Amino acid sequence: MLSAIAARRRGSGLGFAMPAILLLLAFFVVPVAALLTRSVTEPEPGLQNYVTLLGNSTYARIFFNTFFVSAVVTLITVLIAFPVAWALAIMPRRWAGVIFAIILLSMWTNLLARTYAWMVLLQQTGLINRSLMALGLIDAPLQLTNNLVGVTIGMVYIMLPFMILPLMGVIKKIDPAILQAAALCGATKAQALWRVLVPLAAPGIASGALMVFVMSLGYYVTPSLLGGTANMMLAELIAQQVQSLLNWGMGGAAAFVLLVVTLGLYAVQLRFFEPGEGR
Amino acid sequence: MLLDFNKLGAWKWALSGICALMALFLLLPILFIVALSFGSSRWLIFPPPGWTLKWYEELFADPRWLGAALTSAKIGVIVMVLSVALGLLASLALVRGKFRGRAVLRAFFLTPMVLPVVIVAVALYAAFLRLGINGTLPGFVIAHLIVALPFAIITITGALETFDPAIEDAAILCGASPWEARLRVTLPGIRHGLFSAAIFSFLISWDEVVLAIFMASPSLQTLPVKVWTTLRQDLTPVIAAASTLLVALTVILMIAAALIRKGKSE
Amino acid sequence: MKTKLVALATAAVFAAQGALAQDMVFTSWGGTTQDAQMAHWAAPFTEKGGPAVVADGPTDYGKIKAMVEAGAVSWDVVDAEYDWALQAGKAGLLEPLDFTVIDKTKLDPRFVSDFAVGSFYYSFVLGWNPANFTGDQPATLADLFDTAKFPGKRTFYKWSAPGVIEAALLADGVAPDALYPLDLDRAFAKLDTIKADIIWWEGGAQSQQLLASGEAPIGFFWNGRLAALAADGMPVGISWDQNITAADALVVPKGAANKEAAMKFIAEATSAEGQAAFAATTGYAPINLGSADLMDPAVRATLPDAQTAVQVNADMAYWAEHRDEIGNRWYAWQAQ
Repeated sequence: MLSAIAARRRGSGLGFAMPAILLLLAFFVVPVAALLTRSVTEPEPGLQNYVTLLGNSTYARIFFNTFFVSAVVTLITVLIAFPVAWALAIMPRRWAGVIFAIILLSMWTNLLARTYAWMVLLQQTGLINRSLMALGLIDAPLQLTNNLVGVTIGMVYIMLPFMILPLMGVIKKIDPAILQAAALCGATKAQALWRVLVPLAAPGIASGALMVFVMSLGYYVTPSLLGGTANMMLAELIAQQVQSLLNWGMGGAAAFVLLVVTLGLYAVQLRFFEPGEGR
Repeated sequence: MLLDFNKLGAWKWALSGICALMALFLLLPILFIVALSFGSSRWLIFPPPGWTLKWYEELFADPRWLGAALTSAKIGVIVMVLSVALGLLASLALVRGKFRGRAVLRAFFLTPMVLPVVIVAVALYAAFLRLGINGTLPGFVIAHLIVALPFAIITITGALETFDPAIEDAAILCGASPWEARLRVTLPGIRHGLFSAAIFSFLISWDEVVLAIFMASPSLQTLPVKVWTTLRQDLTPVIAAASTLLVALTVILMIAAALIRKGKSE
Repeated sequence: MKTKLVALATAAVFAAQGALAQDMVFTSWGGTTQDAQMAHWAAPFTEKGGPAVVADGPTDYGKIKAMVEAGAVSWDVVDAEYDWALQAGKAGLLEPLDFTVIDKTKLDPRFVSDFAVGSFYYSFVLGWNPANFTGDQPATLADLFDTAKFPGKRTFYKWSAPGVIEAALLADGVAPDALYPLDLDRAFAKLDTIKADIIWWEGGAQSQQLLASGEAPIGFFWNGRLAALAADGMPVGISWDQNITAADALVVPKGAANKEAAMKFIAEATSAEGQAAFAATTGYAPINLGSADLMDPAVRATLPDAQTAVQVNADMAYWAEHRDEIGNRWYAWQAQ
């Protein structure tokens, strides 16, 4: 009987993915491949773009910045989003509704406008520094922009909803009975949290973190306005090469390296967290 | 116990506190933007030297703002619908399918997100020029759909993975056809995921500027492009006024929705 | 029914194409600048019998390159940075200008070349917020680089473009006539001395916010931006000493659909009247030599026009030649 079900379910095979695959093949793979090919044909055929890119300490640093900033942002986003999503999943509905509305509101306002607002708020002469000084908490203004602090605040702000929403859905679906069972077996709250709730929420954390991390890799407007040039991200360098210097070969090479490294990391993640395809 | 708010004890207050702090963090720039929209300083001096409605007058005097907002909303809704539909089908294949190479396919669906948007923009624009669909609504929708789709797929896949397929099987055992089972059992079961996917897809399109600059034509301008050029050139509080109106509209819609829900449940 | 729909759709497509063939597209950076260009250049152009002008934008060089490569150019006239325009002309992305239509005898020769004429020009000038400096006020480019005498953050244009490198060299004592070829090592060494105190501005509006809020009490600005701050009642100090000129250019992408109309549009835009009206609205300087006489002397006094005696001209041809090389070094230095 079960095999009969499996047979009837076979419909959800590759065919279901076809519309998305065809769309991406026609309007993503072919055009992007054409552009990335230029990395070995422009300005002249050869690998010199890659040689320049990989042999230069500045680019190495920018690569490092990109992954480092993305990792910091992802980590902090997870640390804030998990308790919030957890609370939202179990709070009285009225309060959850209010918080949820605030999350949606924050996303609705234009990204550049939000980033500018943060820039002005975080400046040395900005509202936050002046309030802290008026309260007597600090004597001199804190440096909150043009450094890692600024990028992190600005990016976490943008990324939080992308982590909270999927995570909330996953936690909502966890059967409370499992946690009751843990309590019956004598687990403390901390044990139940670490050994039961977090593992059960792991798929949500993983998909949210993946989204946040990868999204962060390609961002540059917020890092460039709040992080200063010392935290320059690869996407900014690529935008420079493509839009200002019209050096599509170099831009393509940098994008290709970013793609390869990211997919490599993803493969590693799949291997460690989801062993075996035929689960 | 951890999933019963009232049995959390002291943890209840810790969680509430974190939520309140985060809400404050999310609201801070928005309230700041609202305040700036009524401030008289063109240079975003805060607190402003005086209060004024002139930015709202400027906003309403320029019909391009409303036009751009409507274009953005239209494109966003179309992208949302297509992205959730294609994303759901693709996710069903990824999670329930039994074919080889699913992990590769998963990574493949992710690639539009990994590449910096400017690369996708230049590549697509060059292709669209040859196809003659640059500057058209379908071109715009396709471009945004490409970057929105990974968000839908990741979100829906995440939801499907925590949904036990045995429940679908049970429905089939009870005589439902596979499609019926999917529509009436699985879809409601992953509604949170679908909802998140819809929101993300819409917002990716609504807030996207790099592709939009490439896909725009004189008759097809979206709000982020208008904001982008205006902010870089003029930094005028008119943008704050536009944002404030959007926030006000959203709040009104949310309150209305809450009231309707309340009315229904009573 | 279906054939009717197809017919309708086809008609609509042809109508759209018809409109495109007649209308001319002018692309610029958006905001109030483009609004002024439309008001003072496009409107009179159409009134005098030219085709209707449609505004598009923002200017994107990647978009121009893709259009020219595909042979589907939808922009007729584009406002671009002058050094980019010279480089793009050499790279074959632009149409040569028709100087039988555009009268170049009346134009400032600094801003005329085969593929580009000036759209407007402006100066980078030293600006400061007097509220932040009680004693001596800054006066020279050397002061801009002197963090002991004038402490605090300073703000500079973020992108690789003529201006900041020249300022560093001038502040380091290089004579204005010995600037080119640029000694990049020396320029970056000078910039290194204040690097920790630099806040970069990405767009004119941001530079104004930084100065007005006191976040960066001193910096190197587009003159029109300081004039706008002053006109709004903000206290602003301006020193024209060694102001460095740069310009925007009007260009026609190669293969533009309305080439003839584009040339006529540029003729109108660079006319004495068009340039004078645009300059009065925006605070940028006119590139038509006849415009000065048409302008209010009070307005003229605020423009770089009145400061030619202490002016240093950025060498656009040199920049066009070395744009990539300088750009790569610039961004690498910033990221270090």
